[in-house]
Amino acid sequence: MPSVKPLRVSDETQVASQTTTLTERPWNVVVWDDPVTPMSVVVVVFRKVFGYPNNKATQLMLTVHHQGRAIVWSGPLERAQGYCVKLQVAGLLATIEQDS
Amino acid sequence: MASRLFVRRRDGRIEVRLNDAGRALAREAFGHVLAAESDADHEWHASLNSPINPGRDVDDPLATLNRQHEITSHVELAVATLGEEFLNDAEAWAWLCTLQVALRAVITAKGIMSTERLNQADEDVRTYIETLQMLLFSLAEVM
Repeated sequence: MPSVKPLRVSDETQVASQTTTLTERPWNVVVWDDPVTPMSVVVVVFRKVFGYPNNKATQLMLTVHHQGRAIVWSGPLERAQGYCVKLQVAGLLATIEQDS
Repeated sequence: MASRLFVRRRDGRIEVRLNDAGRALAREAFGHVLAAESDADHEWHASLNSPINPGRDVDDPLATLNRQHEITSHVELAVATLGEEFLNDAEAWAWLCTLQVALRAVITAKGIMSTERLNQADEDVRTYIETLQMLLFSLAEVM
């Protein structure tokens, strides 16, 4: 039988630190481009869902349009999920992904 | 339809200037969203249930339930105010969300995920999409 070494305090700290790093990586809310959604609708939805000012909402909309996607919000999983649902309810193509 | 389909009045209300054809189109779109929400065989059902986290096989049931509840609330409010001459902000938001959900559902159901595919689509589908876009443009302008 292989011998089992007792867990030292330093090992516990390392495991705890790795777990914390994994769980603390933020979640991104991503909005994807499509060929039909009017740009002005995307701006209105960003303003309404996130409370972003018009210039920030417009900038994000243009990123979606030119780059095919944009990260519109980052943070804890539950809130990211909530925002993603609100964007989908407003008819946008949105998903969440954990920050790499 | 009039050139400006929705107009923000000085008292804050949004005037709906759709003619009968415009309201009929909105009614049809709202009806499809309502039906698609509960009917898994509806052409638009998949679009209304798109993944939240594509990295997981199954989404959080609470999140999907919340989405279903919010879509249904919006479409019910939109249907209830279809005949109104004026909308308040909450009603206008419900219209905008439901029309946009309908627009996305059409392109998802028809596989139109690029401008090229849009240009190749049937004329009827393109006309329907353009009309929904016209309503959305005008509504977004006053919000």
